[in-house]
Amino acid sequence: MISIRNVTVSFGGVIALDRLSIDLEAPVVGVIGPNGAGKTTFLNVFSGFVVPRQGSINAFGTELLAMRPFRRSRWGLRRSFQKEQVVDELSVEDNVQVVLDPLDFTPSERKRHTAAALDYCGILKLRTRPAAGLNALERRMVELARCVAGRPRIILLDEPGAGLSLTEVEQLKTVITGMRAFNGATTLLIDHDVDLIQATCPVSMVLNFGALIASGATRDVLTDPRVRAVYLGEEAA
Amino acid sequence: MTNFEISSAKVEATAGLSVRRHVMSAAILGVLILLSAVANGLWLKILTSVAIYTLTAASIALLYRRLGLVSLAQVAMMGIGGWVTLRLAHGTGLPFEMNVLCGGLSAGLVGMVLSYPALRMRGLYLALVTLMAAGGFAVLINVIQFPNGGDGFTGFAVRSVAYMPRPLIAQSDPAYLRYCAGVTALGFLLIRWHETTRPGRAWAMIRRSEACAISAGVNVTLYKVWGLALSGFLAGIAGGLLAGNLQLLDARSFPAGESVLIFALTIVGGAWHWFGAILTAILYRLLPAFLNDIGVNGNAAYIIFGGALIHALMSAPTGLAGQLSDAAMAIRRRLKRGRT
Repeated sequence: MISIRNVTVSFGGVIALDRLSIDLEAPVVGVIGPNGAGKTTFLNVFSGFVVPRQGSINAFGTELLAMRPFRRSRWGLRRSFQKEQVVDELSVEDNVQVVLDPLDFTPSERKRHTAAALDYCGILKLRTRPAAGLNALERRMVELARCVAGRPRIILLDEPGAGLSLTEVEQLKTVITGMRAFNGATTLLIDHDVDLIQATCPVSMVLNFGALIASGATRDVLTDPRVRAVYLGEEAA
Repeated sequence: MTNFEISSAKVEATAGLSVRRHVMSAAILGVLILLSAVANGLWLKILTSVAIYTLTAASIALLYRRLGLVSLAQVAMMGIGGWVTLRLAHGTGLPFEMNVLCGGLSAGLVGMVLSYPALRMRGLYLALVTLMAAGGFAVLINVIQFPNGGDGFTGFAVRSVAYMPRPLIAQSDPAYLRYCAGVTALGFLLIRWHETTRPGRAWAMIRRSEACAISAGVNVTLYKVWGLALSGFLAGIAGGLLAGNLQLLDARSFPAGESVLIFALTIVGGAWHWFGAILTAILYRLLPAFLNDIGVNGNAAYIIFGGALIHALMSAPTGLAGQLSDAAMAIRRRLKRGRT
């Protein structure tokens, strides 16, 4: 279980996250909210790119915020970014293997984990190709393969569906939904595509101006009048 | 599950690229061996310095290509490598290889120490820090001079200058040219080994985005320091070889401005292709000598360098090596089309 307590982030006078507390257990948790709600800041606190003024994140018995950012990945925290970060000059395989390099795997285990992650994301046949020639979906899949490779415990996905077509989003849904079964990780998914959130996240949390305004089963959250008011643009009842 | 079709043509192209790289390296080494047999004294010295500066250019290109870092202190690193090599040769009588290795390690260490405060900087600011370090070295070396067989820590004697002995297997100029080409080839292999293994992957991630590298578990500080140390080491080895070429070094050979020039020429030669470093060294050492040979002042090379740099910045971001590689690929494609 991931237990988040009183996480507060401020940038000068702006409160980006306001005493955020929540327990996360579901395989995939949707993080939704309007622009500027603090969703990416929330993921950045996990990654260590933003240091909160106060609060704690205890994941499976480990205090994440006490760890140096690059050590969090070695512990099992993975993430993708809003703008994909595939390295053009590396091959598809090397793009994935880079997350396994710091881990205590033998070369053969590393190869096996890389192949398994590429296969899971449907890009095993592309493994020797330079990433420079990949299309948008393939690039996104390389990032997801990087996230699922090895033994991740938490996967943070920041708008993975951005820029993908409807058919491509269908493939993305399959990959995200199967992550828990594939490696046992808990996934936090930020996306503006409500269909994607509904299809992949049994549980969602909604942020607005840094405050948690609702959390629970996704279908209940999406029909919550407060959520409809701030996120879907309807008047509060 | 999603299923993508592999582009077998692309895989074959990648394999072909590797084969072509080996063929081309063997051809270049062959040409050098041939030249070492036919060139006269002056040209042998110039060709040897081309082989040596190829290693320096490769060390600059490594930093730029893999980490996106601009180092304007590589000529100073050569000076450090050269100083330590000379000092050990005159002071201890150790074998040449051992002295050069120590010179390289010293330059790597100094590069690492100097780079540490600069780790938070990139681009222009890092370039300025390294340029200031190169300026500091130029001042220091003008005061203490290069060792030439004298007594004391600096080993500098005003009179009775001694020449540094060359390696036992490369006493003559032709043999020393082949020796330097061999060491440079080993330097290329060391770079290649780094680029295709764990450090290379980590550097590539850092160049893409430090945040992305951190989130992939890459220790950005460690790998940046490692990259700068390796680059300094290679430049230091080049400095040691330069000391062996001339058998003594002159403090005036290492002004800070030379580091700027050789960096600019690395961009012109092409930092993204392995043979770009060879083109850089040819431009830097061979072109001025060639101009002198045909009766044109060697300084005219600076005009050519300026024009080439503007050309590279405006229309050839991958440098001359990139353009040659593209042209070769276009010719091959045309020939293939002609056959079918």
